[in-house]
Amino acid sequence: MQTTSRRKFLGICLGGLAAAGTAATAYPLLSYLAPRSIDETGGKVTFPETEIPPDGAKIFDYRGTTGVVIRKQSGELVALSAICTHLGCIVQWENEKQNFLCPCHAGRFTPDGAVISGPPPKPLAKLPITVANGVVTVG
Amino acid sequence: MSPLKSIYHWLNVRLGVDELVEKRLTGYLLPRSINAWYSLGSVLLVIFGIQVVTGILLLIYYVPDAEKAFKSVTYIMNDVHFGWLIRMCHAVGSNMMVAVLLLHMLSALFMGSHKSPRELNWVTGFILFNLVLGISLTGYLLPWSQLSFWATTVATNSAGAIPVIGQYLVEFLRGGKLVGPHTLGRFFAVHVVLLPLVIGALIGAHLFLLERIGVSTPPFGQKETKSTWQGDEFRHESHPGGIPFFPNYLLQDVTSILIYLAIFFCVVFFSPYIFFPPTAFVPADPFKTPAHIKPEWYFLANYQTLKVFPSELLGLMVQGAAMTFLALIPFIDRGKERHPLKRPLFLACFIGGIILFIGMTIWGHYS
Amino acid sequence: MRQSATNRFCVIACSTLLLLLTILSPAARGQEETVCIQCHGPQPGKGGAPVKAWRGSIHADNGISCHSCHGGDPNDAANAMSPARGFVGTPQEAGIPAFCGRCHAGIMEDYLKSAHGRALGKGGPTCVTCHGAHEVKKANLELINEKSCSRCHPYDRAAGIKEAMRQTEGLITDIERKIERFKGEGVDTERHEKSLFSLRNRYHRLFHEVDTAKVKRESSHIQQELNTINQTLENLDERNRRRKIAGAMVVGGLLVAALIAHLLKRTYDD
Repeated sequence: MQTTSRRKFLGICLGGLAAAGTAATAYPLLSYLAPRSIDETGGKVTFPETEIPPDGAKIFDYRGTTGVVIRKQSGELVALSAICTHLGCIVQWENEKQNFLCPCHAGRFTPDGAVISGPPPKPLAKLPITVANGVVTVG
Repeated sequence: MSPLKSIYHWLNVRLGVDELVEKRLTGYLLPRSINAWYSLGSVLLVIFGIQVVTGILLLIYYVPDAEKAFKSVTYIMNDVHFGWLIRMCHAVGSNMMVAVLLLHMLSALFMGSHKSPRELNWVTGFILFNLVLGISLTGYLLPWSQLSFWATTVATNSAGAIPVIGQYLVEFLRGGKLVGPHTLGRFFAVHVVLLPLVIGALIGAHLFLLERIGVSTPPFGQKETKSTWQGDEFRHESHPGGIPFFPNYLLQDVTSILIYLAIFFCVVFFSPYIFFPPTAFVPADPFKTPAHIKPEWYFLANYQTLKVFPSELLGLMVQGAAMTFLALIPFIDRGKERHPLKRPLFLACFIGGIILFIGMTIWGHYS
Repeated sequence: MRQSATNRFCVIACSTLLLLLTILSPAARGQEETVCIQCHGPQPGKGGAPVKAWRGSIHADNGISCHSCHGGDPNDAANAMSPARGFVGTPQEAGIPAFCGRCHAGIMEDYLKSAHGRALGKGGPTCVTCHGAHEVKKANLELINEKSCSRCHPYDRAAGIKEAMRQTEGLITDIERKIERFKGEGVDTERHEKSLFSLRNRYHRLFHEVDTAKVKRESSHIQQELNTINQTLENLDERNRRRKIAGAMVVGGLLVAALIAHLLKRTYDD
């Protein structure tokens, strides 16, 4: 009887330590695998205005995702998220039609990002853009 | 029936869990005189598991490119959360694996476990030992530090002493005249894919052989220590009236593994730099050989042997002969007697060999 | 005609051979093989003294040999000291700063702006007054000392400057040691090394400043930045301490678990 209770006590202790050991292993492992944190607040993107082709779009990295800048026929610059709201493909600017086409499932967006046709559920997100002394700043 | 029990029942009638437990765990009986040295195999299995897991984790951030390898390792050590821990575990673990493997082999030799009918266990184990040395050597180059670059240069260079094909062999190992980006490519493939697969397969073979022939009885505390094996037909050595593997010996395995882990983490946390001289943290420079390049501790004896003989070829031949002798030891040492005290010649060679190895290692370290 | 062509061929062949030897032989890459040293080295007295003084100097350690400063051809004994081959010999006193300043341009600039430099040619000190010529050592604070300074003026102002700089010097060597240690442990110290390098340069430029107030002001700026580096290094130390504590807990836990497993096993022993 004494052996049984002793066994049970030691078994519980060992089980507790095993649980602690599992936690102590899991924590570093998960931290190791966790995505590297990207600075969500800063990370402004700047480039000279001349980098935007006159009849096209400039696609760039923006805080870990992808953004696009186009020049509308009015001359106004628009910055949008280039990620289609349907399944995440990168939209392409079609200059002759003056709208965005998502090559994956033929979703179309206006130069301001609103959905024209196709499956996308939401418009493209707008990004803040300023131009000063020929330098474009997004963010 | 509770849901848990019904799941168990469902599995049991399909897999025969009860029978499996009875046959492999509680009914798997081991000799009563079994000792703690028999648990080193389990410790090695755990070490291999840790090496595989940490190795896979390192692969996530490591870049096998001569331009980027050192930077990626620096990144792992400094910027990835707990990257230092994973890397240290992998590097220290490789050294510990060689050390425990040596102990495992020495204890098997000492207790005469390698003798017939277990020659195949010894031979597979000996091949495993060589493969582990190989995986350590190839892994050593991957951080692309001064230490790894020049240690690999020196190590691959010794193959050049082999007559006729030596020079070609050196170039074949290196993938070029000198150690360079091509060497990294082939060492990486060998270290990360080829050798782990081969080692895994051989571990399987080693365990299969152990399971077929049965665990040997330690020669200590027995009246009759001679092997009774006849060699006329296959006989599984069973141990009626022995202690069950589960829970008795499994708890011994667990104890040994935990003690090993305590020692291992002691090194990892408090003194990992016994395995890392400062040159391990300087990027490889093919135009600048650092002073005092020495191989890892387990190659120091080989290194010193090469140096004491007047020609490298002679040194290599002596080492080759010694390794062949060790590989074939169960075929050479054919006496039935298994108790070390009743094998004076063996005991003298055993102790002499250990002293020689340690002596050469120390000499190599200080030369 | 034919004779001279053969001669020319010989000369070309020999000099090509010599050039090849110079490039290929590893020993020739050291300074030992220059003809300057071959002739002057064994000379007694004034002729050989510079060679003896130069050995063990910081210039010798860094491979700066006779011809690096004095010009001339170090491979051709006959023309070694020919002005046509760029030999310049020993500069006049007023020309010394310009002579050294060919390499140490920033320091020459600092020196010329200082009271020392403004007194050049009017009894003021030149580079070699304090640093010596051939025996030049790595500059350090001990170059400012009573014996040296009081040759020309009272020591008290120099002592004030030295005191203001001593702390900086101590901090720099301290940080240098720490960085070296962390580097040997696999810590990425590149950023710290770079900022220490630029701070050390800023500090070295103070050496030729004799305006006490400016030295003190600049010293305190440098010290502030050094302290920032020091702080990050101390954080690393703190981090290592935390790792060791975690390690002690892991090892302790494993040992306790091993003990429990052992005791549990004993309950199954008959």
